[in-house]
Amino acid sequence: MKKSLKLMAVVASLTLITGVAVAPASQAAKIKLCLALDTGGVDDRSFNQGAWAGAQASTVSNAEYLPASSSADFAPNIKKFVDKGCELIVGVGFAISAEIVKSAKANPKIKYAVVDDAGQDCDANWNCSAVPNVKGLTFQTDEAAFMAGYLSAGMSKTGKVATYGGAPYPTVTIFMDGFARGVAYYNKQKGKSVKVLGWDPANPKAGTFVGNFSDQNKALTISKGFEQQGADIILPVGGNLGAPYAAASEKSKKSLTIWVDSDGYGLLTAGKSILLTTVVKEIGASIKSVAADVAAKKYSGKSYVGTLANKGVSLAPYHDLNSKVPAKLKSEILKIKNDIIAGTLKVN
Amino acid sequence: MMRNSLSKFGQGIKLPGLSFLLAFTLTGLIIAISDAKVLAKISSPFEFIKSAGAAVGNAYLALFQGSVFDVNLTKGHSFLQGFYPLSETIVTATPLILTGLSVALAFKSGLFNIGAQGQFIFGAIGASYVGFHFQLPIGIHILAAAFAGALCAAIWGGIVGLLKAKTGAHEVILTIMMNYIASYFILWILKTKQFLRPGRIDPIAPEVNENARLPLLAGDNFRINIGIFIALGAALFVWWLLTKTTVGFKFRAVGANSQAARTAGISVPFVITSTMMICGALAGLGGAVHVLGSEHALNADIAGSFGFDAITVALLGRAQPLGTVFAALLFGALHAGGRTMQSSTGVPLDIVLVTQALIVLFIAAPTFVRYIFRLKKLNSSASLTSKGWNG
Repeated sequence: MKKSLKLMAVVASLTLITGVAVAPASQAAKIKLCLALDTGGVDDRSFNQGAWAGAQASTVSNAEYLPASSSADFAPNIKKFVDKGCELIVGVGFAISAEIVKSAKANPKIKYAVVDDAGQDCDANWNCSAVPNVKGLTFQTDEAAFMAGYLSAGMSKTGKVATYGGAPYPTVTIFMDGFARGVAYYNKQKGKSVKVLGWDPANPKAGTFVGNFSDQNKALTISKGFEQQGADIILPVGGNLGAPYAAASEKSKKSLTIWVDSDGYGLLTAGKSILLTTVVKEIGASIKSVAADVAAKKYSGKSYVGTLANKGVSLAPYHDLNSKVPAKLKSEILKIKNDIIAGTLKVN
Repeated sequence: MMRNSLSKFGQGIKLPGLSFLLAFTLTGLIIAISDAKVLAKISSPFEFIKSAGAAVGNAYLALFQGSVFDVNLTKGHSFLQGFYPLSETIVTATPLILTGLSVALAFKSGLFNIGAQGQFIFGAIGASYVGFHFQLPIGIHILAAAFAGALCAAIWGGIVGLLKAKTGAHEVILTIMMNYIASYFILWILKTKQFLRPGRIDPIAPEVNENARLPLLAGDNFRINIGIFIALGAALFVWWLLTKTTVGFKFRAVGANSQAARTAGISVPFVITSTMMICGALAGLGGAVHVLGSEHALNADIAGSFGFDAITVALLGRAQPLGTVFAALLFGALHAGGRTMQSSTGVPLDIVLVTQALIVLFIAAPTFVRYIFRLKKLNSSASLTSKGWNG
């Protein structure tokens, strides 16, 4: 006891003399976390917003972001972060991946991550190799979308549901694939023939797309077209694209909507009452965990894949429509979730 | 003579200069009152003004650091590295100079070219295709790709000119509609086998070959390339065309009064069609320079807002070639500097859009500027903004 007191006194005086405080590991200096966003703005009610929320929630980092007004901003934004001394640079979105990889190869000491892409270095012939300081953050959103498809098929009164995307990116079509297969699974189980408008995994060329992630009017036109064809549940995959449609549908009561990425219930100003659920992709959580890894010096370039099992993707609560979803359907969906996690049900 | 032209220049720069000053003052106010830290001190006026001044000063300092010179970048590097932001300014300004010239030249012939966006897209498509599809020797490849871009866009612009000349359809409506067609056309063409990059399903074309890329001017660390000389050459060409050639005289005559020009024996349809073709070629060259110089690959939003900013740039530059060059450099600087401003002071990048809009607002309202500064007379070419509509 006495000995340890003495030791403490020595340590304390040493600290005083050298003027260096011995800080506990948990209070280590925060890392500089920098987000290079995709086009669409930081308040896109979708992946930019989700990523930024995750970065801000990270307690081990000081976060900042730069928006992009077009793809021409990607490279200079990343360069800006390199010059600023960012320790972890996260590219938000598939489209920015190539620029992240370029920058990572030129700056091997900086850690990088990219949302929605494996972040590999690919040549013109599509031969790819991993880059040690780029961590890909990808998501098996089709697992959660599969549940949403099954749910929609079970909830549809007209026997028709619909989905469409912003642009035919793989990260968009994976939602639509999962959704369509979920409906198909319902049909197989129940011997029904619920139809999916707007997407057929076997014939991707015929899929319905807005063409971008900003033309909300066109998205509204597409949604209304599907309603006229009899669809009563619609899943628009494209961030904020579906917002005017959700607002319109709340008035017309013609169809229910499903949101994507972040739970729409907290984001939508109008349309909450017809929001069936959200196919959630936890981009924010994945960024938070990479930041924690970097702070704890445990970072590796190994890809992160969000699944139902690791809660990287999920199906949001039914919120206002909770009472409308039959208990039997709810339990079937829960079973599907467990089967997917257990690996006994394949979604693709 | 010299003195005369100097005072003329002074008169010419007065309105844009004062508008610029007003816009920056107002933007400063917005920066100050949107800062929570500044607002917190509102109870004590002295502290409030001090912190507001600091916020605005820091923001504008960052704007300068991000667009011209940043001493922080020289640490551990050569002094020249500090000019990296200037290189970024010029890279952003280069396509804007070309699209700006396109709009400016149309103004001079009494046409309102809203179609620089679509023409830019066609220029980018043409240049990209020749850039990645063919293997040509150094030098020739760049020329061929740039020419292809300019040609595609000249045809695209020429269609508008021809339609207006033959049918009297309004060029504003035509160019707006042609922009829509162009932006959906690029989406479609990027899905075709010829344009889709192998292994990808998202809309992005292969990168252009090394030989087709514009040579860099200051080494690999800087993106500045010979595109700026192409743009300056184009500005010189437009100046020469308008002031030293018969064709240019005809352009200006139709711009000043198309009825009188017709009476004087000038073929108005010829002027309209050829103006639109040259305008198209200029904007198309902008697209080509953007693809071959800094982006290297065609994607769906390659055009950004270059075609629309061009209208503002041409207005600010008073539809003069030299003025357009300076206006484009200013816009390039605002865009590049805005990045540093957001990153180091937290003032959102979008504020530079407010500044841009305010500049145009004041230029379009010369009476207001005159009133604010108590000026008797302002040599105004405000008619510029309205004349185009009469064609």
